[in-house]
Amino acid sequence: MGDKRGRGFYFLAAFFTLFVLFLYGPVITIGILSFQGPKGGLTFPMNGVSVHWFWNLFEQQAVGDFWGSFSRSLVLGLIVMMLTLVISVMAGLAFRKNFRGSSVVFYLTIASLIIPSILISLGIGLIFNIVDLDVHWSTSGLGAHLTWTLPFGLLIMFAVFNRFDKSYEEAARDLGATPWQTIRHVVLPIIAPSLIGVALFGFTLSYDEFARTLLTAGSDNTLPLEIFGMTTNVTTPVLYALGTLTTTFSFVIIALCLGGVALLRRRRAKFGSDAGDGMA
Amino acid sequence: MPRTDGVGAWLQITPLMTVLTLFLVVPIVTIAVVSFWGYNEWSFFPDFTLENYEYHLTAKVTWQTYLTTVKYVALTWIFTVVIGFTVAYFLAFHVRSLTWQIALFLVCTIPFWTSNIIRMISWIPFLGREGLANNALIAVGAIDKPLEFLLFSDFAVILAFVHLYALFMVVPIFNTMMRIDKSLIEAARDAGASSFQTLTNVIIPLSKPGIMIGSIFVVTLVMGDFITVRFMSGSQSASVGRLIQNEISLLQYPAAAASAVVLLITVLLMIGIMMRFVNIRKEL
Amino acid sequence: MKTKVTKKGLNRRTVLKGGAVAVGAAAGSGAITGFPTIWAQNIKDVTLRQFGTGVSNLNEVAKKVKEDLGFTLKMTALDSDSVTQRAATQPKSFDIADIEYWICKKVWGAGNLQAMDVSKIKNYDKIVGIFKSGKLTPTSTIAQGTAPHTVGFVEGPGGKRFADKETGWMTLIPTIYNADTLGIRPDLIKRPIDTWAELLNPEFKGKASILDISSIGIMDAAMVCEAMGEIKYGDKGNMTKAEIDKTMQIFTEAKKAGQFRAFWKSFDESVNLMASGEVVIQSMWSPAITAVRSKGIPCVYQPLKEGYRSWGGGIGLSSNLKGIELDAAYEYINWYLDGWVGGFLMRQGYYSAVPETSKKFMSADEWGFWFEGKPAAKDIVNPFGQVMEKAGTVRDGGSFYDRMGAVACWNAVMDENRYMVRKWNEFIAA
Repeated sequence: MGDKRGRGFYFLAAFFTLFVLFLYGPVITIGILSFQGPKGGLTFPMNGVSVHWFWNLFEQQAVGDFWGSFSRSLVLGLIVMMLTLVISVMAGLAFRKNFRGSSVVFYLTIASLIIPSILISLGIGLIFNIVDLDVHWSTSGLGAHLTWTLPFGLLIMFAVFNRFDKSYEEAARDLGATPWQTIRHVVLPIIAPSLIGVALFGFTLSYDEFARTLLTAGSDNTLPLEIFGMTTNVTTPVLYALGTLTTTFSFVIIALCLGGVALLRRRRAKFGSDAGDGMA
Repeated sequence: MPRTDGVGAWLQITPLMTVLTLFLVVPIVTIAVVSFWGYNEWSFFPDFTLENYEYHLTAKVTWQTYLTTVKYVALTWIFTVVIGFTVAYFLAFHVRSLTWQIALFLVCTIPFWTSNIIRMISWIPFLGREGLANNALIAVGAIDKPLEFLLFSDFAVILAFVHLYALFMVVPIFNTMMRIDKSLIEAARDAGASSFQTLTNVIIPLSKPGIMIGSIFVVTLVMGDFITVRFMSGSQSASVGRLIQNEISLLQYPAAAASAVVLLITVLLMIGIMMRFVNIRKEL
Repeated sequence: MKTKVTKKGLNRRTVLKGGAVAVGAAAGSGAITGFPTIWAQNIKDVTLRQFGTGVSNLNEVAKKVKEDLGFTLKMTALDSDSVTQRAATQPKSFDIADIEYWICKKVWGAGNLQAMDVSKIKNYDKIVGIFKSGKLTPTSTIAQGTAPHTVGFVEGPGGKRFADKETGWMTLIPTIYNADTLGIRPDLIKRPIDTWAELLNPEFKGKASILDISSIGIMDAAMVCEAMGEIKYGDKGNMTKAEIDKTMQIFTEAKKAGQFRAFWKSFDESVNLMASGEVVIQSMWSPAITAVRSKGIPCVYQPLKEGYRSWGGGIGLSSNLKGIELDAAYEYINWYLDGWVGGFLMRQGYYSAVPETSKKFMSADEWGFWFEGKPAAKDIVNPFGQVMEKAGTVRDGGSFYDRMGAVACWNAVMDENRYMVRKWNEFIAA
């Protein structure tokens, strides 16, 4: 590739821009409509312009409970994130060794990924019902979410370890490090940036999961379920205000994460490795 | 390999296996068992009946629905492959620094942080008769009457699918492209290949694993969807997922379970075939 | 307006408190050995979990319960599918079920609800006739479908089968009901509409909609087919397979010809369809009409000559309820029928099961507008402070007796329900 940008570049850049615009289409619509006037609805035309609905978001709604469900989703997302991180890293380490039955575990993980969410939801709902356990977001809901986030976590770990230079570990071992020390002081620091990726995936997938939570959340709703429930009664742009706020939050969080990555890379510069560069 | 390694590996894999057993294997087995049970208006009970399967497999509506669903899968797949490949190609070969690549990826992911349901509702003001798209097209004079097919149609369903799942195609393709040895491309160019020839003879064949992985995502996600089809078709079209969701909401769990088993077998067969062409573990 | 509502509440709270204490004392002395004061202390710790659709599971009600009765009511609002699901399969997740009568017919057999002793219901005698004999006035005819009184009573405390007359044991205490019809956009239709048959009029090709909840949708469909003169039903509320086939065939043909713009399943969808002009005629619920109108868009809840399709809801008690929780639940029910909630709901366009108690909680103008069908003297405001109707308007369909007296059928669960649901699904997929 030469230094000059060819025609191809501009064509592709234009295509990419269009793609991004397409991705942002709904977000832009939401953004505009969240500034509806106090009498505005969920659709065009605009009925005045105001920030009324952002304030309304913080008031009590006629039905439902935004903040209760939001805090549940947040807590659930964070638990799922931590568990995904720990379990994926452990499984990823295991898969580096050729243990018996590894292909069974592998195909099971893939199955977990490709089995339609509604089936998982149905199955967990059924089994809890049959053995007479209460479904609750923190038990059945948590399990349902993990079946969705773990395959992603594991796949990322595969990608990471496929690029991992084993000579660092060997060097550590030669220097007399125990297996745990090797993992703690050599492997984990090198793969750390990718772990942020796993964590982000875990949180995002859980936070917005609808189908798998549908029959597994029990009597308290998570945020996506609550929003779905509210669509049966709320006809105001307060939902859009929530959307706009979420997007703004996302920008902030991603900026923080980018900062974190930059920090880690600076630290990692001491080790002089670029392992894990492909992911993030 | 020392024996302790095996034990260590088993210890490390145990949490994963526990979760998958409890929340994947057991539930799926339950579905299979319940699919033979009987039901009434309010409950389901142990029984051995083939009625659930009999109705599901003989009803015309099942076949129609599978046909519609496969149509959605095929169209979504075509669009996501083309878009996914192009975007990944741009990111992998035209964006030079890693920081920029990461930044552009993040830009693409931000819309997904807003609740899917809110985004789904917002397609209505975007595509509707008085929506942004129609108003914009009328304003530039491209049309003089609002386009009706933009919303509540197959077009709308496919559009939403592509919107939701294009990124699932971009990421794996990008991943494989990054693994292509740049010297191969240079070698091709040195041997006198045009960019187009390099693309078709070097890059596309080498990106196939990524395309396959992306395809697996798209196919399974579309096959199991029920909410997108409901919102975007204005409930006018059914997918297999919606059929199951309907049966669930009517408390016909055994019937839903039977439909679920059939869907599961269909999806596993499709993916089984696709997996023959790619070794996922190696290609990541 | 908000302050005005609160002020009203304040004025009445004192009155109500006296009432509540009296009820509390009565219930306490009957059920609990000990002093009413101890009971009043204990009840503060009670938490009752209620679920239902967003129609009546309003946070405002829970707040008022806390103020008036002292205990905590936890509300969960769900869509109607989830409501049915929870009532049938998750008995441990609720204490009070706020469900519709047709749902009651479906799930009563599951045994998750307990029959209620009407002798403990203070205002039982004042409940309108629809819920007891099926007759609004002694001379009314009983509408087709799952009329509330047909599933309103069981033989005794553990009864599984519905009784055909008043027995003293109620399945649901009626709380809210209304008469539904087609909603139209008069500004876009520009001519009078007076029959259900207009829904399938080719004039509205691509601009009509119907709701996709089979038990309700089939009744709308039947009203349309009957109005078109295509089908003469023996009993719309309990169709034969042939009648179901014919009905769905007519609607499938219309769907294939592009009559429908969309189907809706949740309240907001119907509002959006109407407000955005995607649809000009559709089956609709009354608060959806008001939601459209409150955005300044003309929308009429059109009375039709064939009459209304009606629905009713009530609260049922979980069979797990006992002891002080059960007493609290009965107290809640008595409070519910005592008027405050009734007024709250009626000011949104629904009807209360005991209209006369609600009257105390509405201004004369509000009562005149919502119940008596008189022109509004001032702007009509809903409990949340939004202007619903301008001064001078008359409620679509007129008075309570005009509207509820013209009910042709109720939302229904039929003997051939499973067959009907399958046909309905085929219609949606067609």
